[in-house]
Amino acid sequence: METLGFLATGFSVALAPMNLALVLIGCFVGTLIGSLPGIGPINGVAILLPLAYAMGFPPESALILLAGVYYGAEYGGRISSILLNVPGDAGAIMTTLDGYPLAQKGEGGRALALSAVASFVGSIGALILIVLFAPMLSDLALKFGPSEFVWLMTFAFTCLATMVGSRPLKTTIGVVIGLLLATVGVDSGTGFLRFTMDIPNFFDGVDFLVVVIGMFAISEVLVLLESWLRNDMKMTPVGKSFVSISDLLAVKWVVLRSTLIGFVIGVLPGTGASIGSAVAYGTEKRFAEGNDDQFGKGDIRGLAAPEAANNASAAGSMLPMLTLGIPGSGTTAILLGALLMFNITPGPLLFEQQPEIAWGLIASMFVGNLALLVMNLPLIGMFVRLLSIKQSYLVPIIVMLTFIGIYSIHGDSFDLYFMVVLGVFAFILRKLGFSLAPVILGLVLGEVLEDNLRRALSISGGDWGILFNGPITITLAIATLLALVGPFVMKTLKKR
Amino acid sequence: MGLYMFDRLFAGALLCLSGLIAWTAFHFEVPFQYEPLGPKAFPLILSAVLGFCSVWLLVKPSANKWAPTGAVLIKLLSGVALMTGYAFLFEKAGFIVSTAIVGTVFCILFGEKPVRAIMYSVILSVVSYFVMKHLLQLNVPIGMLFGG
Repeated sequence: METLGFLATGFSVALAPMNLALVLIGCFVGTLIGSLPGIGPINGVAILLPLAYAMGFPPESALILLAGVYYGAEYGGRISSILLNVPGDAGAIMTTLDGYPLAQKGEGGRALALSAVASFVGSIGALILIVLFAPMLSDLALKFGPSEFVWLMTFAFTCLATMVGSRPLKTTIGVVIGLLLATVGVDSGTGFLRFTMDIPNFFDGVDFLVVVIGMFAISEVLVLLESWLRNDMKMTPVGKSFVSISDLLAVKWVVLRSTLIGFVIGVLPGTGASIGSAVAYGTEKRFAEGNDDQFGKGDIRGLAAPEAANNASAAGSMLPMLTLGIPGSGTTAILLGALLMFNITPGPLLFEQQPEIAWGLIASMFVGNLALLVMNLPLIGMFVRLLSIKQSYLVPIIVMLTFIGIYSIHGDSFDLYFMVVLGVFAFILRKLGFSLAPVILGLVLGEVLEDNLRRALSISGGDWGILFNGPITITLAIATLLALVGPFVMKTLKKR
Repeated sequence: MGLYMFDRLFAGALLCLSGLIAWTAFHFEVPFQYEPLGPKAFPLILSAVLGFCSVWLLVKPSANKWAPTGAVLIKLLSGVALMTGYAFLFEKAGFIVSTAIVGTVFCILFGEKPVRAIMYSVILSVVSYFVMKHLLQLNVPIGMLFGG
């Protein structure tokens, strides 16, 4: 019952005129960004973050806007997957498998409408689970001391390393690069300047926004430049078909199962929508065994499953971000960084001390998803038309927005140069098969990890045994060990 | 070598970097320290992990088939040069002028005809200037040309 009261508070925040407007704008812009091929949710949030910051919104409003862009982009990602066979981001890859064949059969309209409903159910289902679990998880987290947080972050990084990307080694290196970037600047414990190379701009640490924009948006521009030569996309017409009640009834269990899968995977630290949708697709294919010959050729189950799952995991990844301060995905890592910039530390205390932020965000996601369903059913034609915008017109806008955003924070050209340098560095990382989300996760969590480690060791007077003190630390240590060896054991078992 | 060259080069660079970090962190001396770890422990741990990982990558690199053609390389380099130039001009020439120039070149790089590229970029920069400066009240440099 207490939860309902908090939720009511949340809705009073979310339905305030300005926040309502920001939800709608965020969802609209998000769908737009998600539907443009090549620019996924993470880039959308990254590009808009400094603008939201510079415009001086209160923290809950900025967060509501950026979160709207995030899950809006998860809706939008399906449009280019279905019509162009080009996923807007990694989370939408599985959608192409059955979505594009449907569109080729002239059933694009049906595919778009069905996936919109699946996305909606996935999001709302995950949100209900968040409402149920958030108070519980934040109560549990209140018992966490420094050593528990050290383990929690170690667990998060281990999950990230063993489950995301092609090579655990490269993910680990990415995390360490991020953690090291976080050590630059004045040391909060002693006032000592670390790794600043005597550049005054680094005394305060490397600016989070500059790193995010440089690594994501600028490197994306370079990727677009590189791939442009073989860029001749053909759009499949939408057609006049639409989703029917019998379609929806046929996939109801598929959608519910995928929602659950997506939510659980979204909550796991570091593993976001791309894994959620892949696991859901694989599960549904196995469930349909004997009756699965249409999978990959335009089966509506194969379309509904990944769409429900990727939206559920986008919402689910908010849960650990809000309750524990550990982001569940690369994009929530950026949202976490945004909160830190507003001097708000997500974690168990957030729900107690600033319920308007945590619950306001959750309530706004209910409102936003409803708006997205409305936008994505009748207004789909408009987004489809925007898909045909030429890259030659799009890229100058992206570059311009990144430069305005970064410049307007400090009004210093140094940030612009540093951003370009980071963009080139990130481009090299991408070409070498590194993913960028681990770097951002490391950067965001670096300071918290170091602070907690140092605090734990101060409590124990330098005895590292404190890291194995109490039932929660030991549970987390075992979980970390399982996350470390589990995937390898599974792989060897599968080979036999 | 061949396919594995990229990873090996990168691993080597990382190994040097981790050494450099360890050496720098080792020499952090603070006059007052109230806790057992201090500012140097965490970077030292990280540099050890990084060093270990880079040796591993050096020994077991993954294959990389990235082989950009000359045309692509020129495109990439001009993109980098263009953005660096934008950073240089942004404050000095002001937003409108720099965006119009850089936008035009980007349009052309992505295959637009010069006349349309110029028209699009000029309109884009002027409209965005007023939207960003006056509607959203952002800090957008006007530049010397217009007396800023």
